[in-house]
Amino acid sequence: MKIEHKIYLSNAVHILLIVLIGMFALQNLNEILTKFRFTVIAEGLNANFLEMRLAEKNYFLYGDNEALSNIKIRIDQTRETLLQVRPDIIRAVGAQKYTTLQDQLYAYAQLVDSSSKASHRDGAVQQKLREAGQSLKTFSENITALESDRIGAIIVRSKNILLYSFWAVVLFAFLFSNLIVRNIGQSLRKVVDLTRTISTGNYRKIEENPSNDEIGAVINAINAMAEELHKREKEIVQSKRLASIGVLVAGVAHELNNPLNNISMLAQTYAEVYDRLSKEDRITFMERVDEEVERLRVIIHNLLDYAKPKEQHLAKATTNQVIQKILALVQNMLDVSNIRIKLILADDLPDIYIDEHQIQQVLVNMATNAIQAMGKGGELRIASRYLPDHDEIEIEIGDNGKGIAPEFLDHIFDPFFTTKEESGTGLGLWVSYGIIKNHQGNIRVASQVGVGTTFIITLPSCKKLKRCTDGEA
Amino acid sequence: MAKHSIMVIDDEKIVGDMAKLSFEQDGYEVETFLNGESALERLKERRFDVVVTDLKMKGVDGLEVLRTVKKLYPGVKVIMITAFANLDVAIEALRDDVHDFFPKPVKIKELKASVKRALGEE
Repeated sequence: MKIEHKIYLSNAVHILLIVLIGMFALQNLNEILTKFRFTVIAEGLNANFLEMRLAEKNYFLYGDNEALSNIKIRIDQTRETLLQVRPDIIRAVGAQKYTTLQDQLYAYAQLVDSSSKASHRDGAVQQKLREAGQSLKTFSENITALESDRIGAIIVRSKNILLYSFWAVVLFAFLFSNLIVRNIGQSLRKVVDLTRTISTGNYRKIEENPSNDEIGAVINAINAMAEELHKREKEIVQSKRLASIGVLVAGVAHELNNPLNNISMLAQTYAEVYDRLSKEDRITFMERVDEEVERLRVIIHNLLDYAKPKEQHLAKATTNQVIQKILALVQNMLDVSNIRIKLILADDLPDIYIDEHQIQQVLVNMATNAIQAMGKGGELRIASRYLPDHDEIEIEIGDNGKGIAPEFLDHIFDPFFTTKEESGTGLGLWVSYGIIKNHQGNIRVASQVGVGTTFIITLPSCKKLKRCTDGEA
Repeated sequence: MAKHSIMVIDDEKIVGDMAKLSFEQDGYEVETFLNGESALERLKERRFDVVVTDLKMKGVDGLEVLRTVKKLYPGVKVIMITAFANLDVAIEALRDDVHDFFPKPVKIKELKASVKRALGEE
């Protein structure tokens, strides 16, 4: 469901709740109003009964006909009232009680009719009349009291329900907004994670089916972008590889032309000055030719070596052990250059499946570069960590040396590219890059002039390669 | 007649050594340098009749040598040699008034002919 729809739904539920509560409150108020009207009527009825009984007392005291007719008038009034409020009373207390009341009034009227002026001192008559009157009054008062109690009960009930529904609405609002916020938050976090992964060059898609809402649309868009980026990157890698071949050929030509020229010049000069040369000079000439041939041989050997890496001898290895081994190899360089070493090795690393010799070559190369970039003094930082999201090991080699200028940074993995004044073949990083790529890993570099350079190598864990159990491949 | 002087700059030692041997046999005075920096220092002290320099060197390269020579001694011809047979660089060098351009491996006879032309002997 779209977030938009969820919010509409939430609002609709809120409105419905408020309407229900309002209707309920209205109904209660109506009920209270009805009950209140009834108590007014009942109070009137009670007053009638009271007057009736007052007239009854007067009759007993004075025994005059006026008092007797007075009672009759009151009885008639009461009857009339009772008839008028019949529906109200029936609604409030039921037909049976109304009939009872009517019957009692009728009985009372009969008693009054059968009484006369003479009988006002008759104890039995008095007694009957008094009882009947009292019973009528009590009955009426009971009804009034009952209705008052009911009004109280309704008010209490309304109050409670309003209170509960108030909390229910608050709770619903809280839970629902929480749900939406968490829903959006989770999805957004997913998006953030994804973009972060993509920015590291890993064009992973969000695997689960994106939800059919706005976030889902964003995820779809990002997935499409990642796919497009991946495609573009492949094209760039391809064109870069072609460019590299061009750079390589030019570099090879230059590397070969120098010793070739030396041999050629030696030969030409030898022929030219032959007569003036002593036997020793001639031998020296030939030795220098041989040295240049040897130089060519080494260049060609190295090129072949780099171009066609020897068959890999892959085996399971422990990252931190590999790091420790190369430390022994570069320790001398560290001592000479007075460079401190800072190791931050994670101890929860899964094993890797590598050609240990090649990976050592890469790490030594990185460490050597770092040491050379720092000159005298500085700190070589080597860190290892596990990236559980990708099931990869990350090895970071950093220095606080002179850094690499941004215009060179794009070329440091090119063959024959070097910034080292004296001692660079320009092949180290190119070879390292090839080795790591062959291991299905990656090398990234970050550098700032004057601050330092950090190389980050990622390698898949042996589990990711499904190579944790067997030995050599 | 005083000997013609030739300055040879190349970071490959053999180039200087062989040029020295060969040109001295023909009666030239030759000074060799293994980098641009020491050559520039020497140029401040004295003039050479012809300068033969490698193009690609660490630090001060052949183009910088060319510019310095043209600034200090506008009449002196510069001959450029390089292992990088890169035409773009050659065109740039020629625009900067290089006398001749030789890709390695260099034919010494051709180089000598070029030096002669530079000296106006032919």
